[in-house]
Amino acid sequence: MKSTCLFFMLISFLSWSQNKQILYGFSEIPQSLLMNPGGKVTNDWYFGIPLLSHIHVNAGTSGTTVYDLFANDGLDFNLKLGKAIYSMQANDFFTVNEQLELFSGGFAIGSSYNKDQYISFGMYQELDFIGYFPKDYAILAYEGNQSNINRVFDASDFSARGELISVLHVGYNKKVNDNFTMGVRGKIYSGIMDINSTKNRGSFVTVNGTNNFYDHIFNLDLQVRTSGLSAVTDDNVSSDKVVSDIKKGLFLGGSLGLGFDVGFTYQLNKQWMVDGSLQDVGFIGHSKDVENYGVKGNYVFEGVNPIFPETGSGQTAEEYWDEIENEFEDLFEVDTTNTKYTTWRPIKLNASLNYAFGKKRDKECNCLPDDDGYQNAVGLQVFTINRPKQPQMALTAYFFRRIFKGLQAKATYTIDSYSFSNIGFGLSANIGSMNFYIMADNFLEYQNIYNAQSVSLQLGFNYIFKKNED
Amino acid sequence: MQKSVFKYLIIVVSFALATISCTKDVDFNQANDILLTPVFESDLVYINVPANKFLVEGHEVLNLKDSVNIDFFQDEFIVDYLVKAEFMLETTNTINRAFTVQVDMFDAFNQLQHTFSFSSGASPNNGEVVTQHIEVFEGNSLVALKNTTKLVFTLTIQPGEPINESTPGRIILKSKGTFYLNIDSLL
Repeated sequence: MKSTCLFFMLISFLSWSQNKQILYGFSEIPQSLLMNPGGKVTNDWYFGIPLLSHIHVNAGTSGTTVYDLFANDGLDFNLKLGKAIYSMQANDFFTVNEQLELFSGGFAIGSSYNKDQYISFGMYQELDFIGYFPKDYAILAYEGNQSNINRVFDASDFSARGELISVLHVGYNKKVNDNFTMGVRGKIYSGIMDINSTKNRGSFVTVNGTNNFYDHIFNLDLQVRTSGLSAVTDDNVSSDKVVSDIKKGLFLGGSLGLGFDVGFTYQLNKQWMVDGSLQDVGFIGHSKDVENYGVKGNYVFEGVNPIFPETGSGQTAEEYWDEIENEFEDLFEVDTTNTKYTTWRPIKLNASLNYAFGKKRDKECNCLPDDDGYQNAVGLQVFTINRPKQPQMALTAYFFRRIFKGLQAKATYTIDSYSFSNIGFGLSANIGSMNFYIMADNFLEYQNIYNAQSVSLQLGFNYIFKKNED
Repeated sequence: MQKSVFKYLIIVVSFALATISCTKDVDFNQANDILLTPVFESDLVYINVPANKFLVEGHEVLNLKDSVNIDFFQDEFIVDYLVKAEFMLETTNTINRAFTVQVDMFDAFNQLQHTFSFSSGASPNNGEVVTQHIEVFEGNSLVALKNTTKLVFTLTIQPGEPINESTPGRIILKSKGTFYLNIDSLL
């Protein structure tokens, strides 16, 4: 009970998503190929500065913000807590997504006069968590069952998953013709840690009874599956061992899985362009260090019925009571198994429609304008991610501008589960061959970061080589 | 030229992020003020006995007695957070005999911690005579409850019209506990 309460609180703090709406389609940044392997390639080769080439954190809550709960406003904390519990729904969620690129690179291949293919590769580490607000559990803990007779508490309200993985990937991009580019990226996942509890079923309800005041009806089918967790939960394990286990897991020593990304870009005419991609179509087979916990059973409790002695010889209700205790123990007994299991990666779908305009007027050069000749672009992007309860969607409108040579900026406006007022901004700057980019969203909320429903930040450094610098 | 633009850009961006991402006053220590006050109700015991249950080999017995061992009240969670409890007992009598229900609560060393009883009137025409008793556990009696590991129920028939195999009616007892919790810490 206590740890349940603590868990509610913890997930309320760790409220974080994983849309990278600013990076998507930002073809000057090599990492945009990770979002669409069939995106446009604008360099001949590049490598990411190790550990610094792509740092991404993204956090969001569709419900109560940290500020709602912890503002130093003199209001009673418990009133605020109650308000948060009642205002949130079971579909409200908290997510965290973090990625760190360990290394990456890419190079064009093909005939020397027409390098129409591009190989990119790399390795990144990713942490992904989503937890839904366990509304019915929270209400039960907050109110008890006295004021909730006949209310069915839904056990499926508890739904969460988290994973720590590393991904080794190689992508192939081919410019099929002047208008069409496509690409695919193969991925090997190494699951370092995984915990998921997304298929809980059942209910608890107290109804008016016949033999006694109530019938307490338990119907539970709960399951938590974990892999790689004992490395950190086992008390006897030293921190050195934990670090070495994580390192091993990072470099394909964990539970392995396979997946792919696929995408395309199609130039409708000089100014209009559509693209789309699917990311992380794949699975991880959890086989290492698997521990699963399950609680399953049905029981109706209506109190203890002492069997009064038939003969007055002192026979007691002990046996009957033992039976009830056994029933309860059976019901709540946690079955621990080591059965291997498979998780699917959260599939992401991206698509966008883009319009470029405003040609650069170059007085000195009379060279042929390539398709980068437009200085501005506007467009609409759609992002969808498959989540345990239901997919999450985001719609983004953007404005892209080449400010001057080697400096591009993109501003976005996004509508999603978190808010209708998400303004994002990103910059990519090239100084010689060094590329630096930084992007963040929810700028309107930065006046008070604790009140943000979601924040997202990406930055990185690359070394980019272009033969035909524009 | 380009290098200085780049430097300038980094400074501007980091300055912008540092200044615009300010925070308003929050106080995470408020979590220490947490107080959850759920109220749970649970069935306790129930009894449903016909009049002839009081006959043993043709002779009337005055006492029906039975005990229930229970370690629920000694659970750490209950000891820490239970601030008040109420037992509600309800009898429905359709036998033409008055009776008394007595509940004795014993600790692990078989020492009596608390006792309470109540009586129901007889039912001369076998209509339902409903009697309710609420036992409140607060202060000392709450301490007694938290020490309790055994409950002994005694049903004592008061003198009256003799009972035989065909005596109509029965005694029904229903009971529930109401548990008031004050959860004031998360750890």
